[in-house]
Amino acid sequence: MKTYTETLYDSYGQAFNVDKLYFENKTDHQHLVIFENAMFGRVMALDGIIQTTEADEFIYHEMLTHVPILTHGNAKDILIVGGGDGGILREVCKHTSVENITQVEIDAQVIDMCKQYLPNHSAGAYDNPRANIVIDDGAKFVKNTEQRFDIIISDSTDPIGPGDVLFTDDFYASCKKALKPNGILVTQNGVAFMQLDEVTTTNSRLTPYFKDHHFYSAAIPTYIGGIMTFAWATDNTELRNIDLNTVTERFKAANIATRYYNPEIHKASFALPQYIMDALKT
Amino acid sequence: MARLTVEANENAERYQAFRAQYGSPLLILDCDQLVHQYQQLSEALPGVEFYYAIKSLPHPAVIDTLEKLGAGFDIATSGEIDLLFAQRSQPRHTIHTHPIKRDDDIRDALRFGCTTFVIDNIYELEKFVKYRHRVGILIRVSFPNPSSKVDLSRKFGCKPNEVDLLIQKANSLGIHVKGLSFHAGSQCPDSSNHVNAIEQCQHIIEQHNSKSKKVLSILDIGGGFPVKYINEVTDIHSFCEPIRKALEKLPDNLNLIAEPGRFFSAPAMTSVTTVMGKAHRGDSIWYYLDDGVYGSFSGQIYDHVSYPLTVFTDYTERENSVLAGPTCDSIDVIAEDLQLPPMTIGDLVVGKQMGAYTSASATDFNLFKRAKIIVINQKEADIETVSVSTL
Repeated sequence: MKTYTETLYDSYGQAFNVDKLYFENKTDHQHLVIFENAMFGRVMALDGIIQTTEADEFIYHEMLTHVPILTHGNAKDILIVGGGDGGILREVCKHTSVENITQVEIDAQVIDMCKQYLPNHSAGAYDNPRANIVIDDGAKFVKNTEQRFDIIISDSTDPIGPGDVLFTDDFYASCKKALKPNGILVTQNGVAFMQLDEVTTTNSRLTPYFKDHHFYSAAIPTYIGGIMTFAWATDNTELRNIDLNTVTERFKAANIATRYYNPEIHKASFALPQYIMDALKT
Repeated sequence: MARLTVEANENAERYQAFRAQYGSPLLILDCDQLVHQYQQLSEALPGVEFYYAIKSLPHPAVIDTLEKLGAGFDIATSGEIDLLFAQRSQPRHTIHTHPIKRDDDIRDALRFGCTTFVIDNIYELEKFVKYRHRVGILIRVSFPNPSSKVDLSRKFGCKPNEVDLLIQKANSLGIHVKGLSFHAGSQCPDSSNHVNAIEQCQHIIEQHNSKSKKVLSILDIGGGFPVKYINEVTDIHSFCEPIRKALEKLPDNLNLIAEPGRFFSAPAMTSVTTVMGKAHRGDSIWYYLDDGVYGSFSGQIYDHVSYPLTVFTDYTERENSVLAGPTCDSIDVIAEDLQLPPMTIGDLVVGKQMGAYTSASATDFNLFKRAKIIVINQKEADIETVSVSTL
């Protein structure tokens, strides 16, 4: 039996039976595989780290999308940085009130490959007329763009590798500039129990640029080690204190089907365990 | 093996056939020899996991053969990672052993999937703060080893009494130190350095583990296992007997690993060179070969090794002779004061035990073409293939 062993941590890890190998690419010092696993469906891994699986991707994509959009309440212009698998785009497209969706992905091949081998992630969203796909370096695009956005969603890879520029001071400063008033930046920010440094580093890097920043969370089984945190940054300090009724009304009005997200989860996801709260104080 | 062996002319046929097909100079890499050496060391050191030191002979067929036998790999550079990457090797079975690394080297290793690193000082330890949640560290300890051919304790390794402080510092930085490593030397004449180092490491590990919950769980006993070139060396089973005894005294749950390079690769390669010119100079006849110390015989300079040479003749007379390499530099001499039979241009000179630190340190000086490496007895996809390359 062939197996794929994640190499994210030295002393602990997860391994998958590889029931069928769909795709493998070893170029430019990058190792990408997509394979079938009985429990998680199609699994995509990059440089020894699980990126997404068919079985649990909904948790990640719903939370990174619906929490900022429904908090904002009137988001028309959305920017997705990265997100080549199309999962975020799929979720954003569910909001008929959103008018323009720009997605900046550095590698066109990732999109093509995901359309072919992970078709359920984008589920046709790349054909949505509201979607404008730009092939460019996300950090560079955000820095130079004249467009302004209500929401920026950074769906990046691990900070070691091609995604590292999406965890820098520069990137956060550019995002601040590219957001409209009341705009919100959300980013994937790692599994806090395993890599608490990602939380504290992001926290200190966001501080100079945003009046309010915090994290919210969800547990995604194949991002092992407990809850994944999502960074939340905005100049509107009231936004994350939104009341449950407002979220519930907006969710009803949006009329979208979800499998993880609901208004109660939305509110609760901003409650952080004490070890993270303590880390944020230091 | 003597420095010089003279064999009957008919014994040259095998090498002549290779030369006829692939040209000269050549290095013939025999994967069966790798298997043999791996089995020998496995029997001599039961319970020890081997991480082949790629630096000694960084060739895909060596990686492939040893990986199929269950070996892991000792990598020191991003170039060596590229080689493993191309071979699709399992990154879980690698350790990055260079004590001094750039940030990019660490990142390359992590992206490949190697999470074990070696350090021997505080500056190096601090480089891992950013990656502290992902890595496990071995501390390289240095024990003087004056009897080994190459003293590896001078350039790298901390003193035994510095280990405690390094572990304390690592703990305060949140970096996991999981074990110790040492290098007893290279081509060691006996295993006394190994035994001494194991005993001292045992002391450090037992002291540490008795007072700390974060235990040291790995001991990496390095390399240094000798192969025979010209002079007799102790056979590997006898060489390792004192090591086995020292290892038996270690705590039961300690993971034991070693980083053999030379022992696996040296016997696996044989060089084939051709006399391309001759001259009478003084009392000697000079034969100019198409490979020399800037090429496959570079180990004579860097590795301080002389290789057993074989010539083929049916003549009985002997003359004082010199074997020189092909470059324009006067240092490019392989052997002097050899009593060789008369040779003619086109004759073969074969070098044995030419696998370790030979082509690995060869240069392109004079832009003289490097020896081609011919791989034989490689088990690949159930067919035995011969492949041709240079390093």
